[in-house]
Parts: sequence; structure tokens; C-alpha cells
Amino acid sequence: MKSVFASVFNWMDARLGLQDLLHLAQKKTVPVHRQTFWYYWGGLSLFFFLVQAFTGVLLLLYYRPGPEAYESVRQISFDTNFGWLIRSAHSWAANLMILAIFIHMFSVFFMKAYRQPREFGWWSGMGLLLLSMVFGFSGYLLPMNELAFFATKVGLEIPASFPLLGAKMASLVRGGLDVNEYTVQRFFALHVVILPALFLPLLGFHLWLVQKHGNALPPEEEDKPEAQRRTMPFFPNFFAKDLAMWLIALNILALLASLFPWELGPIADSLKPAPKGIHPEWYFMSSFQVLKIFGQWFPGASGEVIGMTLFTLGLVLWILVPLYDTSRKSGERARNATYFGLLALGILVVTTTWGYLAIR
Amino acid sequence: MSKSKTKIEKQEQDDLLSRRGFASAALGGVGLCYAAAVSYPVYRYLSAPVEKSAAAAAVTSVTPPDAVKLPPGKHMMFKFGARPALLIHHKDGTWAALDAVCTHLGCTVQYETENDRIFCACHGGIYDAKTGKNISGPPPRPLGKYAVTVSQDAVVVTREKQG
Amino acid sequence: MNYPFWDVPHIGSGWVIGLIAIYHIMISHFAVGGGFYLPMAEAKALRENRKDWLDILQKHARFFLILTGVFGAVSGVGIWFAIGLTNPEATSTLIHNFVFGWAIEWVFFIIELSTAAVYYYTWGRIPKELHVKVGWVYAISSLLTLVIINGILTFMLFPGNTWLQVAGSGQEAHYFWNAFFNPTYWPSLLMRILVCTALAGIWALVTCSRLDGRLHAKLKTELVRWSAKWLVPSFALMPLALAFYLWQVPESQRSLLQLGMSTMGTGAFTQVTRIALLIIMTSGTIVLVVYFFAWRTPEDFSFAHAIAVLFLGLVATASGEYAREALRKPYVIGRHMFSNGIRVRDVARLNQEGFLTKSLWTTGPDKLAQGEAMFRGQCLACHTRDAYRPMKILLAGRTRESIGSLLKILHDYKPDSPYRSFMPPLAGTQAEVDALGDFLAAMISTNQTAAAENPAKPAKVAASSAKSAP
Repeated sequence: MKSVFASVFNWMDARLGLQDLLHLAQKKTVPVHRQTFWYYWGGLSLFFFLVQAFTGVLLLLYYRPGPEAYESVRQISFDTNFGWLIRSAHSWAANLMILAIFIHMFSVFFMKAYRQPREFGWWSGMGLLLLSMVFGFSGYLLPMNELAFFATKVGLEIPASFPLLGAKMASLVRGGLDVNEYTVQRFFALHVVILPALFLPLLGFHLWLVQKHGNALPPEEEDKPEAQRRTMPFFPNFFAKDLAMWLIALNILALLASLFPWELGPIADSLKPAPKGIHPEWYFMSSFQVLKIFGQWFPGASGEVIGMTLFTLGLVLWILVPLYDTSRKSGERARNATYFGLLALGILVVTTTWGYLAIR
Repeated sequence: MSKSKTKIEKQEQDDLLSRRGFASAALGGVGLCYAAAVSYPVYRYLSAPVEKSAAAAAVTSVTPPDAVKLPPGKHMMFKFGARPALLIHHKDGTWAALDAVCTHLGCTVQYETENDRIFCACHGGIYDAKTGKNISGPPPRPLGKYAVTVSQDAVVVTREKQG
Repeated sequence: MNYPFWDVPHIGSGWVIGLIAIYHIMISHFAVGGGFYLPMAEAKALRENRKDWLDILQKHARFFLILTGVFGAVSGVGIWFAIGLTNPEATSTLIHNFVFGWAIEWVFFIIELSTAAVYYYTWGRIPKELHVKVGWVYAISSLLTLVIINGILTFMLFPGNTWLQVAGSGQEAHYFWNAFFNPTYWPSLLMRILVCTALAGIWALVTCSRLDGRLHAKLKTELVRWSAKWLVPSFALMPLALAFYLWQVPESQRSLLQLGMSTMGTGAFTQVTRIALLIIMTSGTIVLVVYFFAWRTPEDFSFAHAIAVLFLGLVATASGEYAREALRKPYVIGRHMFSNGIRVRDVARLNQEGFLTKSLWTTGPDKLAQGEAMFRGQCLACHTRDAYRPMKILLAGRTRESIGSLLKILHDYKPDSPYRSFMPPLAGTQAEVDALGDFLAAMISTNQTAAAENPAKPAKVAASSAKSAP
């Protein structure tokens, strides 16, 4: 048995250079310190993305966009063996993936892992987060149930409040003046063709950069002399722990998906009044609430424009952080960047909580 | 000191060899369980249409036992293949055979004699007792209807031709 | 008399027991398993003359004493308070049958608590052999508390036919041992002992993880691996124990596992089956996670890793206890008393004389008050108004007539009723059932009027969306 494995491995190795890869993986190291825990979150985001790809393809086998969208999801959930499980896993993993990316992003920010030479890692990561949020937004509509219908309607208010082209863009995305079956068709194309086509190369680039530069050290570790720093080999030590984290993630996903199956709810009906407390998904809650607050502070549409502008400015500042927090030394700029991160995290938490309290 | 150490190490190595075999077998077993836990639902999910069409093809007609003795105004449950079905002998002498699986979320429906209608207890769906048409509540479609042929000594229920 | 039923909003009174009980089990099973871990580890350390092991074990013993003696003991008493309030009838039945059993358990419990304290405080002060013996006395007495309480716990799933025949005759206490050694007694005891050994290993891993892997590489490696081995018997034998258990569970309850959930379609299992499968999956995850985190690289095994394993243990234990509870449906004491405290043999009498004859405060003409008393008496044991198994959502969109049809099905309780396998019958006269129907209809409609009276927020959304669609 063993010799068969060995000979197959040798045959492949001679042609593909597997041994070199293995050596590379064994030579690679991961720093060990008090913040090592945060290194797992990038891998967890990747894991949830793989779950999304797998369950997404399975859903694709039965899902029909357009006017039959709701009926096909109803069939998946109630008529097809384990369809409820696949759909629940897809919905839950989507939320967990965005949660994992957020944690990954904030840990990278506070460990200042965006500094030279890792700027492109930060930018590609931000790109992946924004794409994931569009993934989430477009996927949410696909069942075309009541909740999705009104959440999409409300969610499209955000781009619609952009000055000048906003309203036109929103109508173009909707494929009509209101959310309708063309919107589902468009969102479907976006969700399964356009977004993956953008996401996958960017993900490859991001992973290549991680491989190229390795894990960044937080500033307090960098200050230590080389001899005091500790590392573990990527393979097998970190890999084994990563695998264990993935298993825990899979277990939590199975728990959530099977015990709290994703609801389908009633079919969307544009003539019905919006149900009480309609709101977008939690990861849009903050921007939704900011718009609402500014809409109440200023008269007419100007409030939403101001809110949107401020939000966009903040996001641009956030994305450009590697350009103004460059110093390796912990000086005033580095401190200011940390304060900015704390402020952003604070605003995100406060406005999200506020949003949820407001809809109750 | 060093002597005892090497002794312990050697013993540990022996232990490790036999242990490693056990551990890898155990871990492999757990890994297999995982693979099965993932692939079983996926397999059943993929094969759902196959199972449905096979079930539909398997049975085309059923003779519910003793149905011919069913007096008017009474009803009975029977199995059409694997699916529960409902046979009603109406007071006006007509017969109706309907699929007893609610089209909403798949609960088994029941005939209410006093109201002469079919009721699904799960979410309160109501169907017409003759045609199976969904009258009120959440069901999206009528119940599936079978053709009933009554002869001297048997009642035969057959699948109606689609379309 | 119908007791003034304990109305815990949102989670329901059952979950109050559940939360206390799950917390208690994580500790109490450790109290049994750890009771064996300590003297065995101490004896091994003495045999091999390992001073460094003994230091760690002493720390572990202190942690053990505080956790089990304080948090374990207090939460155990908490269960008593909670079950008495949640299901007074069932608690009363247990006391009438098992008061002697509890007396025995208290004897072992007192021995357990005192020897735990003696074990810790005499560390290094009495001869070593004697100290290990104290540890063994502790281990045996704590095991015996489990041996006793297990009889009472399994009695509730199914008391056995002998006891059921005499139930209500006043002779029950004579059949104490029949009730005690009921069909699921032995498999359940086996499973619980296996959980005890696993939890002993998991909690020991928590203590070991606090060791600095760089300073004490060898010690940490040995201790982590030795503790990890405590998980092996549990995971090797658990599938067999589970099969033994399911084999002993009465057929009527076992069929709950196969029952297709009435609110979900094909391929969906019942809640209890899903949870049973999750227990198996989580156990597999624990094995692999312990292997990857602890066994492979014991020196790096950190406190966070240990907490992750403990968390998985919590998930598995909680799922296990939930599944055991759910397997009892529709009874609280198998075939003797329904989940809402109504005895099986009383149902016919209550249907004739009325359920509310014992709720004297509701004899007035107020039908809604009668309906609410019915709701509190017969629904609240399992359902809440708005959160856990919420009536407002389960009945949402139904008319009064449709609620009436449902209640009729529950009241008639015909042999082919789809609810029979997991819900008790609705007991009471027709007038009482109607009062309950009115109350439920009013309850779900107040929900709707609340939405109608409070249109401010949806209106705002509608207004802002109207703005964007010129």
C-alpha cells in the first residue's frame, strides 16, 4: 500500500516538482506571539468562500431566476432532499464569511500589516471585502421573498442617493423603476458570473501576495530583537492548526444551518405594504443608518447626499491608509492611524446597534 | 540520568510506532465520517429528481383494500406508491382520490366530514374535497388528483394523464 | 389546583432549566471524571517520582475544588428551584417516588464535598499513600452520586412497564427499584461515564495549557498528551453506547427520530435527529481538533486552544442533553405525564369536568381570562408567545376558524393525528377549548394591530423609496 503511494508520488513529483513545493511550505514560517490568533481569520474567510462556491454551485442546479425565482427556491427548500440544508449553509456561510473578513480586516489594520511592502495586500483585500458585500447584496434578492424584495428596495436607496447619476444608476441596476423580475435576472448574472469573474483573480492575487511577503509582525513584536521572536513552521504546525480552525468553523456552520434553517417567508408582492421593521443585512446596517440620520438632520435629499459623501470620504481614507501611515517607527502618524481605526470601529458598532434599535 | 533518558526515549519510540498506526487509522476513520456526513446530503440533493421520477414511474394504479365497501359520506387513507393519498366517497355518490400531501410544506392533509373540505393542520390550508383545488390558506397549488374507476368488486385509482 | 404557571418571556421556563442544567453538567461530569483523573495522575507521578507533575496536579486540584465545590454544587441546587417552578406536578411525582434515592445521593454528595476539600488541603501534609486514598474515596463517592441521579433522570424518559402499572395506586414507592433500574438506566450510565472521562481530559487540558511551553517543554508535552488520552475511551466507545441506548429507548420515542418534521419537507430530519447527528459531528471535531491542537504540537498548546476544545465540548454536551429532553416528547415522564404536567389517565376526566375547575380564580364570565388560563396551563410548558416556539409566529395568518380546527385536532387526539407523536392532547371541555381559541386569536391579532398602529417606520421607508423613483 505504502509503496504504491510512494511510487505515485514519485511519478507526480518528477513531473510537477511536488517536493519543491513541500520544501517551500516547510521552510515558510509563521510568527508566534500574543496576537497569533488573528492570523487564522484570513484562512477562515477563505474557508467560508470555498463553502460558498460549493453550495452555490449546488443551488445553481435547481434555482431558476426570473418570474419563477420564488417558486424554485420554495422547491429547493421544501421539495428537494436536503435542499433546505444546502440553502441554509449558503446563507449562513455568506454571513460568516463577511464577518470573518471584517475581523481579518480590523486585525490587519490594528497590527499595521498594511505597511510597506504589503500595500497591495491591503488594497486587494479591501477589493475582496467590497465584492463580497455586493455578493451578499445580490444574493439576498435571489429568493424574491418579501424580505428580500423590500430590503433590496431600501438597499438601492444608498446608490440612488449619490448626486447626479445615482438615481439613474439605481434604475439601471434594477432594470426598472421598481424591483421586479428583471432585477432578479440581473442580480443573478451579477452573482454567479460577473462577481466570481472579478473575485477569483483578485483572490489569487491576494493569496500570492500573502505567500510572497508572509505574515506581518505587529509593531510591538517588530521592536523586539530578532532572537526573542518565535516562529513555527507553516507546514505542518500552522497548517494543522489552520485545519483545526476550519473544522471548528465547519462545525459551527453545520450547527447554525441545521438548527436555524434560513427562513423563506412569503412571496414578494410589490402591492403589499412593507412589513414592519424592514432593514438591509447587518453589514449594510451602518451605512443605512448613517443615511437615515443625515436624512433626518437635513431637509430634502441634501441630507442623504451629505451622508453618502461623508461615508465615501471615510472609506477612501480607510483604503488609502498605507499611503499616510508609512513609518515603521511608532510615531504620531502611527498613533493617529490607530485612533482612526478605533473611531471607524466605534462608528460601525454604534450606528449598527442604533440601526437595530431604531427598527424594533 | 542519560541512560534512563535514552531508555525512556526508546520506549516512547516503540510506543509511537504502534500508536502512530492506531492514531492514523482512527483519524482516517473520523475523516471518512466527515466525508460521509458531507457527501450523503449532497448525493441525496443531486438525486432528488431521479427519486421523484422513479417513484412516479413505479406505480400507475392502486386498488385500495376494501374501498368498494366504503359507504357514501365516508373517506379513507391509502398509499399511492410511497405517498399518502385520500379516497373520498361523497354523499352524492361521486368518488374523489387525491394526493394527501399538502402542496405548501408537505404535511399530510385530512378530510373534514362535517365541513366537507380538506384541511391541512400544519398551517391551516384548505382544499376543495372534490377537485383538490386550493381554496384558502398558504397552499400554492391544488392537490394532485387521481382518476377513480369503480366496478362491481373494486375501486381502482390510477394516475391521471398529465396535460 | 393548577399552579400559577411560571411565565418566563421569550425563552420559556424550560430553557431556564436547560441553561442551568447544561452549565451544571459541564461541571458535574467533570467532578466525576476529574475525581478519577486526580488520584490516577497522582499515583503515576508518585510511582515515577515526578515532582513537577505533582506541582501541576496540586494547581489542578485547587481549580477542581473551586469549580466543582462552588459552581457545580450551586448550579445543582439551581436546577431544583427551576424544575419546581416549571413543572410542579412532575417534580412532585419525582419526590414521591425517589425521596429515598435523593437521601442516598445526599449522603454521597456530602462525602464527595468533604473529601474534595480534604484532598486539596492535605496536599503534602499527610502520607502520600493516604492522600491518594483520599482521592479514591472522593472518586468513588462522586461516581455514586451519578449512579443514583442517573436512575431518576432515565426514569423520566421511560419509567418501565412495571411501574406504569402501579402508577397512581399509591403503591409506586414499593416499586422503587423497578422505576430506578428502568430500561435506559445502563446505557445512559455508560454514556455518562464516558462523557465524564472525556470532560476530565478536556478540563485537565485547560490547566495544562497554562504551562509555558518554552520553559517546561517536556513536562507540558507529557501532561498534554496524557490528558488528551482521556478522550480516547469516550470516543472509541461512544458509538456503541449510543446504539445500546437507542436500542433500549421505547419504540414510540425512537420513532420521533425518523419523523419528518411537519414544518419542513423531504430530507429534513426532526430537530432531535439533526441534533443527534450534530453530537456525532461535534465529537468527531473534538477528536480532530485535540489531535491538531494538542497531540501534534503539545508545546504550543495555548489557553485559547483549550477554550476552543472546551467550547466544542459544551456544544456536544448541550446538544446531547437537548436531544435527550426532546426524545421524551410528548411526555415529561414517559407514558405517565404529558409535558404540560397533565397525567395521561386524567385526560378523559378533564375533558368531561373541565381543566379550569382547578383554576378557581378564572371562574368568572371573562372568556379571555379563561383562555389565558388554558394557555398558561397547557401551552406555556413548551411554547412562548413571541420567541422560542412562538405562538404568534406558528399561528400567524390564521383565522379564528383555522385556529379552531387545529385545536380540535389537538383535542380529539385521534390515532392518526400528526401532532400525536410530539404534542400532548388538549384537555378540557368544549367551552374551554373555545376560550383558548378566542385567546389565541386575540393574541395573534394584537400582534397585527401593533404593527398597524405603529406604521411610522415602514411609512418612512416607503416615503424615501417613493422619492427615488421619480
